[in-house]
Amino acid sequence: MEALLSLSNDLAGAVERAAPSIVAVHARRRLPSTGIHWRAGIVVTADHTVRMEDGITVEAADGRSRPAALVGRDPGSDLAVLRVADLDTAPAALGDDGALRVGHMVLALGYGPRASWGVISALGPRWRTWRGAEIDRLVRLDLVLYPGFSGGPLVDAAGRVVGLNTSGLARESRLALPVTTVARVTDELLRKGHVARAYLGIGMQPVRLPEPLRVGLGLPGDGGLIVVMVEPDGPAARAGLLLGDVLVALDGAPTGDLEDVQAQLGGERIGTTVTALVVRAGARTEVRITVGERPRRGAS
Amino acid sequence: MSAVLTAEPTAEPLAAAAAAMAVELARVTVEVRGRGAGGAAVGAGVIWHPDGLILTNAHVAHRDVTVVLADGRACGARLVARDPRRDLAALVVDATGLPAAEIGDSGALRVGELVLAVGNPLGLVRALSAGLVHAVGPRAIHADLRLAPGNSGGPLADARGRVVGLNAMIVGGLAVAVPSREAQRFVREQLRG
Repeated sequence: MEALLSLSNDLAGAVERAAPSIVAVHARRRLPSTGIHWRAGIVVTADHTVRMEDGITVEAADGRSRPAALVGRDPGSDLAVLRVADLDTAPAALGDDGALRVGHMVLALGYGPRASWGVISALGPRWRTWRGAEIDRLVRLDLVLYPGFSGGPLVDAAGRVVGLNTSGLARESRLALPVTTVARVTDELLRKGHVARAYLGIGMQPVRLPEPLRVGLGLPGDGGLIVVMVEPDGPAARAGLLLGDVLVALDGAPTGDLEDVQAQLGGERIGTTVTALVVRAGARTEVRITVGERPRRGAS
Repeated sequence: MSAVLTAEPTAEPLAAAAAAMAVELARVTVEVRGRGAGGAAVGAGVIWHPDGLILTNAHVAHRDVTVVLADGRACGARLVARDPRRDLAALVVDATGLPAAEIGDSGALRVGELVLAVGNPLGLVRALSAGLVHAVGPRAIHADLRLAPGNSGGPLADARGRVVGLNAMIVGGLAVAVPSREAQRFVREQLRG
């Protein structure tokens, strides 16, 4: 029976180690969500649980409630960053999400603390959320995220935080934002208040290119993206891209589907120039577009 | 290094320990059935004392019930105390030398501790479920553990196999158990002398 007792003590120990860094975030009516004291005075939580911009309070593990200021939010990765003065409880001990393996035991924790037990059910490479944010690693969980658990830590068996749990990124499955992504997005939010996403200002649909056209023009792939919408005065419009143009490559990389375009357009491309190879009226045309920044909702 | 981090070397003892625990807990768990031959299983119970005292939930213990022991013996049970508010009931069967549960201290439970439940969910007899302590309150233990209706009245045990609660409800997917301290107080109050 020693093995069971030892496992039990490890799990309870993991909860105790992580508990001081867990906070309750009161940023919506009724049920609070959970947050992680990320580093001195900085709390991270799930953006979809932050329903107000003012009057947010954070209740730390010491039971004291403190006012919190919303520093920035990124709906794309479902992360919000709060600044809390006088938060003297210990920040989270971070683990390495790169060391996770399918089958590893993990705990999802909520304020209280409350615990939920499960395993890493799947891991995957870098992926993009439905709102366009790039997540460094897919971390899928087999555990229950109870009400109020969004924004709370995913901890390994040693009590180190390896991710932030959220039900806001996928409808059916439970996912965690890996700490690598939380750190990257948090730094950017602290620096700029928002996460900049590159933007061309066009709507596109995949099309297959007829073989004679592909061969005749020496095009890189057999698919392209037909431009079905051009945002007036957007970066692409200013560069002269037209409705009906078929985008076949960006900076020499074939663009067979929208993923290929997004892969070329990280936030670091804002302000730089990309060369779009398009088929227009049966001929090759090159258009140089200065990449813009995606307008934010509510921003003036 | 902890047992969890070295999963390969400890996986076998862990599985063996869990299997041994399941057998131990099954011995102290009874099935509670409606009276008469072929009475339907309504829940489970815990052998609290070798001389025939069995604890279960009030919502399981009606006046006429039969208790089926792990060895297959079926005994008519007398309802000697019932408290719907705490959802506890005491049954007595005419038997001695029963394998009684070792009772733990629900007040010492820590969030994250392993817990095991045995009962008769969905008609399975003495099925085991494993989970952990989600939160602890004075009146209830909440466990991140899958229960089904036939678990009612059955034991919730810690990693040492000591009974720390009686499973009573499922609320929002969580198992809710009556703490062993409450059960002990109930036994003291109701069965004095």
